Amino acid sequence: MSTDRDVDRTVRSWLREDRHEDADRLLNTVLDQLDTTPQRRASWPAWRFPIMNSAMRIGLAAAAVVVVVFLGYQFLSGPNVGGPSPVETPTPSPVPTATPEATPAAYVYPDAGPLAIGRHQLTEEGVPLSFSVATSGWSIDDTGYIYKDTEVAADQAEFLFWSLANIYSDPCAHTPLSPPVGPSAADLADALWTAFGTEATEPSDVTVGGRAAKHVVLTVPEDIGCDRTSFYLWYNDCGGVSSDAVGCYRYATELGDTIRAWIVDVDGARLFIEAETRKAAGPEVEQEIQQIIDSIVFE
Amino acid sequence: MDTDLVIRAQGGDQEAFADLAATIADRFLATSHRILSDIDLAEDATQQALLSIWQDLPQLRDPARFEAWSYRLLVRACYAEGRRTRRWAPNIRLLPVDEPMAADGFSSVVDRDQLERGFRRLSLKHRSVVVLHHYLDLPLDEVADVLGIPVGTVASRLHYAMRAMRAALDADAGTTPREAAQ
Repeated sequence: MSTDRDVDRTVRSWLREDRHEDADRLLNTVLDQLDTTPQRRASWPAWRFPIMNSAMRIGLAAAAVVVVVFLGYQFLSGPNVGGPSPVETPTPSPVPTATPEATPAAYVYPDAGPLAIGRHQLTEEGVPLSFSVATSGWSIDDTGYIYKDTEVAADQAEFLFWSLANIYSDPCAHTPLSPPVGPSAADLADALWTAFGTEATEPSDVTVGGRAAKHVVLTVPEDIGCDRTSFYLWYNDCGGVSSDAVGCYRYATELGDTIRAWIVDVDGARLFIEAETRKAAGPEVEQEIQQIIDSIVFE
Repeated sequence: MDTDLVIRAQGGDQEAFADLAATIADRFLATSHRILSDIDLAEDATQQALLSIWQDLPQLRDPARFEAWSYRLLVRACYAEGRRTRRWAPNIRLLPVDEPMAADGFSSVVDRDQLERGFRRLSLKHRSVVVLHHYLDLPLDEVADVLGIPVGTVASRLHYAMRAMRAALDADAGTTPREAAQ
């Protein structure tokens, strides 16, 4: 890629590929809802001010001043001053009612963009936590995907906080592990270690945010027998929001990548924290990742 | 855009709105699909935008500005949908119901993977600018009008976004942006 014009052309061409959208179904759904969807009428006045002479303007202004002064006096002097006694209306005594508790959001991320050096908060799978960033270059997108972009491709890195439903026993054939991974952090760590064989380190006991956690380091093989986007690593249900999908799967970002995983049980939720670095990543990136992990505090 | 249809729909004429919606629905879905990179979310955003248009149409003062106004509602709907889920993170994809174990089907994705990954890394605000300008061919001042932001901000977002896309493509070619610039 050599010029900005090349990039523009490539992006335009990619955006204009036919993606087979058909809006007929959703259009019918919308039209079916019109009867029950009232229009919001314009809030601005439809009338116009008549042409006024000076006397009218002065008169209207004076009247407005009188109204404002009167209302201000009423407001400032308290209720019922100089007026008739109000009819006492019985104030209903407060009846204790079960106030619905606000459901905390399951996913809350900082605003998309560069992450300033300092502490940041997010909520993943209903688990609120904070972490600090000690170096520049880290950013977060709208999905809570944290990444480090550098001009040196080898120093790029990605962070994901999420939960996993299961892993793939055969990533190229897309065969999920059967029976699926058990519910604990140790279950998942052992399954990753077993599935990745020699490409994984034995799970070790570590601490994340003051809680016991499992840590596994995986290496994405370079001779995988399929392309990397078809090399499925693990999946979850994606929040169950899709109509024609059973979940989301994660594929290998680059062959030869190192994926460091920390798995921690937090009040019943199994949080999966993964950091992915390129094969030629320097030790600084690894240190930055470890610094972020060490800074995690569960709120 | 037929302003007569707009005016009639403003007055509550459902048939006029149906005609109006039919002329923009495909374009809206295509646009939201590109901004959100997810057809499910795009359908939800398009549906919500069309309903918002119906609801708020009486408040549109100048029917001739319908197009820019309606795209603004679409982009807002995309923002709202995009924040509902993370399933379009750069290296995560939907797992289809019917072929969870298919071994292929994504081979063509490989060629586009860097583009998609670069695009998915952009915030919704940056994506919107790219799509409105490079897909809908709106000049920068019209993009600014749609988004309700200054032209300078549009230019800045576009510059940032295209630089990021260039970095993604350069990474694919095995070069760094610095190398490519030389």
